[in-house]
Amino acid sequence: MYRKQVRRRRAVLALLIIGSFALLTFTYGQASNGLQRGVSTIFSPLQEVANRGLKPARDLVNWFDSTFDARGLNSRLEAELEKARSQAVAGQAARAQNAQLRKLLGLDRKVVPAGYRPLTAQVIARSPTVWYSTVTIDVGSGDRVAVDDPVIDGDGLIGRVAEVTGGSAQVTLISDHSSAVSAKVVPQGVQGVAKAEVGDPGELNLDFIDSNRLVHRGEAVVTAGWRVQGFASLFPPNLPIGEVTHTSIVEQEANQQVHVRPYADLRDLETVQVLTGGWRG
Amino acid sequence: MIVTPKILARIVAIAIAGVLLQLSFFSRVAFFHTSPDLLPSLVVSFGLLGGTMTGVVTGFSVGLLVDCLLVEPLGASSLVLLGVGYLAGLFRERFEIHSPLVPPLLCMGLTLVAELGFGLLQLLLGFDATVSILVVREILIQSIFAFFLGWPIYLGLRRALRPALVEDPTAQRRKQPTVLGA
Repeated sequence: MYRKQVRRRRAVLALLIIGSFALLTFTYGQASNGLQRGVSTIFSPLQEVANRGLKPARDLVNWFDSTFDARGLNSRLEAELEKARSQAVAGQAARAQNAQLRKLLGLDRKVVPAGYRPLTAQVIARSPTVWYSTVTIDVGSGDRVAVDDPVIDGDGLIGRVAEVTGGSAQVTLISDHSSAVSAKVVPQGVQGVAKAEVGDPGELNLDFIDSNRLVHRGEAVVTAGWRVQGFASLFPPNLPIGEVTHTSIVEQEANQQVHVRPYADLRDLETVQVLTGGWRG
Repeated sequence: MIVTPKILARIVAIAIAGVLLQLSFFSRVAFFHTSPDLLPSLVVSFGLLGGTMTGVVTGFSVGLLVDCLLVEPLGASSLVLLGVGYLAGLFRERFEIHSPLVPPLLCMGLTLVAELGFGLLQLLLGFDATVSILVVREILIQSIFAFFLGWPIYLGLRRALRPALVEDPTAQRRKQPTVLGA
């Protein structure tokens, strides 16, 4: 009797292991399948309810974490404030000039690039492991969201839509290991590819930067948004990504290592905007 | 564990609630820049209470649900979590749980195994990014969180599944007849 039980257990274990490998083999690198779309559709309302119901508790916990962080940041911010004060005067003059020029050129002052329709969405779920950086949002193909649509928040670029179901979409964040964003450092215009450093959502690496063109701390990094002979970057140009924190030149390589701190807080995302349409739409 | 339809419904409800709680709450809060991972502790608790079969099946199902809801490659989370459930169940079948510290310590150890398992699986599937040393810190902190989360999860689960448990010391104590004059 006991042996029979042991055999049955082993059979179930073997079956499930084989099943897992089979699922992994058939679904890895593929678009979402019927099972995932079905389950997402069924659970989306539940996730939305859970998301709304748990928001106060989440905010409370994150407030504690932010308070601890704020203590450490205080001294650094004081030093930065000194520097910012001196730049503010010059900035105000430049802003006034900029406003006049924009009026003259008839440019839209919105951050959203021309041709894109921003669609506001709520984050309803987030990947639990450190190895994936994905979030699920409460808009999907029913809201005209498509795969590869850029996603931003109030601070800058956060990622792109990787999968879409009827009422929800999965967003691969720029801190995910599979993410690569064609970017440029402004005002110099040096171009590179912003890639994630797994485990540290507060840092990106800007690869393929020519070591002859030096990049400096504090410079802004935005999307490059190139378009060449029918091929185009997934992201429109000039979406803010982050700020250069430090650079180093590796002796053996001709490239500079540029470290970038994303403007967006990729750990604490609540409301985001999907840029639908655009030059691909 | 004696799994009646009523107990099965409870297990399914607890697993779904656990997954929703993880994706909507625990994954989106941070202590010391790290989000707790409740799911390995939940699967370990199932394994400790029900043995290898329960651990393996709940681990696979919870992993599959997570992968479906996050629209990630199916099977990765299932494989890792069924391994964790199997190890917890094996522990339950081979050893007695004498100390109340055993479940949280196992949750801690097996969460560490699960996170390393996820990493190993990622490496096997192909990985095109640098890995920060902060991953180590994050995994260790997640394991410590699992110690503190594992304790209430195990107790809560034992309470919820009490009618199905074969060896429940609390129930056994209650059934012992009172010997008058002893």
